[in-house]
Amino acid sequence: MKISRDYLDWLPWALATVCVAGSVHIVSVLLMPDVAPRNAYARLLAAAQNAETTTNGVALLPRAAPGAEVTPFEDSAFVEGVCLFDLSKGLMRVRADADLEDLLALSFHARTGRIFHSATDRSAIKGKIDVLIGDARQIEAVEGEDEEAPPSQVHVTAPSMRGFVLLRSLAKRASDRDRAEQRLRSVSCETVAEPES
Amino acid sequence: MTNYLRAFVVMIAGLLLGFAMTAVSLGLGRGFGALHVGPWTAWPRHGGAEIDPYARAVLARSGEAPLGRDQGLAFFAHADSSGAPLDGRCDYRVFDTTPAARFWTLGATSVAGRLIDNPADRHAFTSSEIARREGGAFEIDIGAQARPGNWLPVSKEPFVLALRLYDTPLDLESAPDPQTFPKIVKLHCA
Repeated sequence: MKISRDYLDWLPWALATVCVAGSVHIVSVLLMPDVAPRNAYARLLAAAQNAETTTNGVALLPRAAPGAEVTPFEDSAFVEGVCLFDLSKGLMRVRADADLEDLLALSFHARTGRIFHSATDRSAIKGKIDVLIGDARQIEAVEGEDEEAPPSQVHVTAPSMRGFVLLRSLAKRASDRDRAEQRLRSVSCETVAEPES
Repeated sequence: MTNYLRAFVVMIAGLLLGFAMTAVSLGLGRGFGALHVGPWTAWPRHGGAEIDPYARAVLARSGEAPLGRDQGLAFFAHADSSGAPLDGRCDYRVFDTTPAARFWTLGATSVAGRLIDNPADRHAFTSSEIARREGGAFEIDIGAQARPGNWLPVSKEPFVLALRLYDTPLDLESAPDPQTFPKIVKLHCA
């Protein structure tokens, strides 16, 4: 009898421990993208500050070398650039020409890691990639404008104010890296002011 | 007084247990929705808005920037076609076909995703540069010792192969056919 009474005495405390552990587990997993000190955004932010930025606003990332990679598990056949955005300073417009000969891939990442838009040059409209990103209010203001937006422009709502656009340009052969870099140099990232309403 | 003490113990034990569960669960996998094809595994949800919280936490911790779903799909292999873990002390051959894609690349990295230092300065092959036999089939030899032909160097440690398919029409709803993916065969071990 004594054993079962002891057991009943401890049961609520054991259940409480499990509840606390479960909550801590869920909260720590959900918070990880916000608190991880070396996530992709932090790595690319640090790399962009030390890298050459083109006149079009693209930070050219250094070629990955053993021991000097910007992000892990990155395809080394690509020449890469990054545009960091902060929507509190305005919308960001990314433009690129598509030549369909070589691969140019764009991915739009929120600061905490979610990819909210991605495209390659194959999805270009009339040979142009033209993406405008903003928060819900900014995109609404742009779409409510009287002025006709360029028909090839894609409007994307970003889930967070900060994030980055990763530009990957394929060097089909090792000797093509210069050409791949030239393609990145022709990509433009500009912060545009919100239309006055 | 004992109840306060017990509550304190519950809090501490709960905290430790909770963090331990997080550490273990993030170390075990890369989130849900993995797509297994032979020795290759991809996580299509990593590239879209429907990424799950575990995958986001794993990627945030490792610092990866995965491929977007509309760009392509990255398949990783930690083991050969017979299921034995990939080890740089052995020689491997990757051959046959790849699924349809506008471009593909096949590269080797360390288990942590870092490039492997080698004298040839080669870390991957692209579909454009690879030397093929008549008919389009190819072979890539993987090992620490230099070889003629398509040689992908690794160091004498475990490694990971990454097959990235760009602009691929691969249908994810129906399970892809393993026959259309490259095989990884161990040749011999040093």
